Amino acid sequence: MKNANSKRVDYRKIRGYKEFLLILPFILLVLLFSYYPLYGWVYAFFDYKPPFPLSWDNFVGLKWFKSMVENEVKITKLLNVLRNTFAMSGISLLFSWFPMFFAVFLNEIKCKPFRKFVQTVTTLPNFISWVLVYAIAFCIFNSAGPVSSLGQKWGILEGPVNFLQSADHVWFKMWLWLTWKNAGWAAIMYLAAISGIDEEMIEAAKVDGASRMKVIRHITIPSILPTYFVLVMLNIASFLSNGMEQYYMFENSFNKDYIQVLDLYVYRLAMGSGGYSLSVAISMLKSGVSVVLLILANKFSKLVRGEGFV
Amino acid sequence: MKLKRVVSLFLVSAMAVTLLAGCGKDKGTNGGAANEGGAASNGKYADAMVIENFNVAANYQGVQTGWFGQLVKDKFNLEINVIAPQVGGDALYQTRTAEGNLGDLLILEKSQWQDCIQTGLIKDISDKIYATGSNLTPFKKQIDNLNGAYDGKIYGIPTEMMDTSPTSVSVDDIYSSPRIRWDLYTQIGAPEIKDLEGLIDTLKKMMDAAPVNDAGDKCYGLSLWPDWDGGDAMLGIANVVQLTTWYGEKIKQSVILKPDGTFIPLTDKNGSYYKILKFLNHAQRAGIVDPDSATQNWDSACAKMGAGQVYLEWYSWQVGFWSVGHMQDGRAHRVIPITDQIYYADADAYYGSGRVWAIGSKVDDAKYERIMDFIQWYTSPEGLMYQHCGIEGFNYYKGEDGRLYTMNESALAENMNVPAEFGGAGYSDGNNKLNQWIIGSNCTNPLTGEPYATSLWSSYKEATDTQMVKDWRAKYNAETPVDYFRKNNKLVVSPNISVPLESDSADIQVIRNQCNECVCDASWVMIYAKDDAEFDKLWDKMTKDLDGLGFQDLMAWDKKVYTVELEAKNAVK
Repeated sequence: MKNANSKRVDYRKIRGYKEFLLILPFILLVLLFSYYPLYGWVYAFFDYKPPFPLSWDNFVGLKWFKSMVENEVKITKLLNVLRNTFAMSGISLLFSWFPMFFAVFLNEIKCKPFRKFVQTVTTLPNFISWVLVYAIAFCIFNSAGPVSSLGQKWGILEGPVNFLQSADHVWFKMWLWLTWKNAGWAAIMYLAAISGIDEEMIEAAKVDGASRMKVIRHITIPSILPTYFVLVMLNIASFLSNGMEQYYMFENSFNKDYIQVLDLYVYRLAMGSGGYSLSVAISMLKSGVSVVLLILANKFSKLVRGEGFV
Repeated sequence: MKLKRVVSLFLVSAMAVTLLAGCGKDKGTNGGAANEGGAASNGKYADAMVIENFNVAANYQGVQTGWFGQLVKDKFNLEINVIAPQVGGDALYQTRTAEGNLGDLLILEKSQWQDCIQTGLIKDISDKIYATGSNLTPFKKQIDNLNGAYDGKIYGIPTEMMDTSPTSVSVDDIYSSPRIRWDLYTQIGAPEIKDLEGLIDTLKKMMDAAPVNDAGDKCYGLSLWPDWDGGDAMLGIANVVQLTTWYGEKIKQSVILKPDGTFIPLTDKNGSYYKILKFLNHAQRAGIVDPDSATQNWDSACAKMGAGQVYLEWYSWQVGFWSVGHMQDGRAHRVIPITDQIYYADADAYYGSGRVWAIGSKVDDAKYERIMDFIQWYTSPEGLMYQHCGIEGFNYYKGEDGRLYTMNESALAENMNVPAEFGGAGYSDGNNKLNQWIIGSNCTNPLTGEPYATSLWSSYKEATDTQMVKDWRAKYNAETPVDYFRKNNKLVVSPNISVPLESDSADIQVIRNQCNECVCDASWVMIYAKDDAEFDKLWDKMTKDLDGLGFQDLMAWDKKVYTVELEAKNAVK
């Protein structure tokens, strides 16, 4: 009896080892690409200046963290950057239903060539880089561009206006550009989900006298809501990393107070002229805020769904 | 169906072939068989060599191709791979120094060079630099001066050295002064311009007289551009910093050096930064500033200058965009002195222009030897002719009187095709991408007895002595702008010196970066301020923000650093 038992244990152990070997490469990958880079955090505790290597002589402890908040001007700057990050990510999150509705309505177009045309035209901008998007924006909205010239011709504007120089409604404008670029692409996921809906359900509803709007309301949208929630979750995960290419391109002296997001701020500090230590410190702050956000989202999920995701 | 498969198979294989071809070495770029039988392929330079050139001056990244590439290949069987932080970003410097090998041939800023010597990244070249017959021996004084702190070891060679003296000005035209379209200026009656407000009036009248250019595009008094801001040892926006020299003041980062040799803060309301910024604001309110100024890049501004849409310019080298082509019809820009101004000018770069040529410590003997041979050629009259004058038979020719005459003057601007015998491709594409001379173009060429710079050739001066130039000479009773400034005591010459300047500590680096961003952003907003009250409010907010970012510490640092420089300059005077 005892023998048989230990044999089984051995067999289990071996199987355990084997299975461990199967996931080992992935653990190594995670260690290599997610944990090893954390070693770079040490730079936040030194006065680092290339080409001189790190040495204990330059160890400064928490100096850079303190300098981030040492006076009103610096705190305001940091809060501004955080506010912009939250605002622009927040607006994206708030309007995250937009591609879903776009997909639903796109799906209702019965003329197939037209539907394909709309889909292609809205998906294409996704493949244009932000540099080109800015070039297009500059051509359209500069002081000699069509918008300014037509405005003057029709008497709406008094003189040539460079619209990109204005700081008004920057967050909303940035969302518009982002949507112009991404909506078609984001809709693909929903179109796939819609095509997965059981045709029989829709036909049965139609037989029962449901109108098109009723089918959308009671069948299409409820069927793709799970997809929507998954995508929203992914969105929250990248709340603080809302990219910097777009803002990097559209940023100028006039709108900087509203457009500079955390990633862009860190990039400017480090790559601008070598404030590596401070920018590492700020990146660590970002990680801190992310952890707080994660905990909050988890709590919220527990409240709403009864279970967390961590 | 079958056809589809065949087609797709074909496309896939075509793609694979192109991908693989991309990996291979491009043999075509240097003209293929051109160097067969050349000096390079036999004897001393039998094996081909590629050197890495880390180069802060270059604005091109990659292997040097075209006519200059072929020249170097033929002479030394050498290819130069340029690594340019101006293209690839400053992080290149950080990552390469951290790795311990910056490259083979280095062109660095002086402060970087000093740091790199300390960390052992630079090779001592004292054994070869003054070898018998070296072209650098005449510049021993300048080179030894640069390397004074290293116990007789030679780690670097200054750039753009001159053979005159540290106090002479041997150009006809200083680096920055007001340059106005001559035809329009005379058309409105050539009024005397008393001060900056007078300049605004004059430009406004000129704009009213000619609101559009030949193509019908709108013209402006000034067109500014933000993408140079904060570079080249300055704090604040490039356009303002440059114009401050019109009052004899020189911005040294966070402090302003006044003509009397004292330092004042950049934020002083009596200083020239405030004055010029206010001038630009008034000009903007008068409607003579291009509305796209704050968001356009240098290329767009450049295109406007080239199309004759800009009436005021301030760099001596801007003549290439418009003026050179309009000397004959009198529509070029000319220097128009303003009554209340005196002009700051750097003396000849006798001790060099601030950058350094050096050799990386990791080069092997063969590479070291070939690079030194290359430098010897680069500093020889033959090499200098290629750098400063171009190709004989394409950019210049020898006249019957024995003098040199220019030809194909627009070769660089129009990227003209170079004949295959010189390497083919566009002239600008194949031009020397190192973009930094060791010996300046105003030095005397022993082969001709004239300076290397084509604009100083007697033949060129005769050819460009147009009616416009004669009119200018008559009006100002002077041969050249520099001559006029000297006669009227309007020139503040800053002697050229070479002292080691301390590089920024990590703290100062961050403060400088943040202060610079703050000044630049505020400056642009101020240029577009609606009235003086708003302007001053923004200025006060800027100074307050600057103090919060550590401006006082920065100023103390800069004052300390630049006092060393100032004392050295005073010693030369």
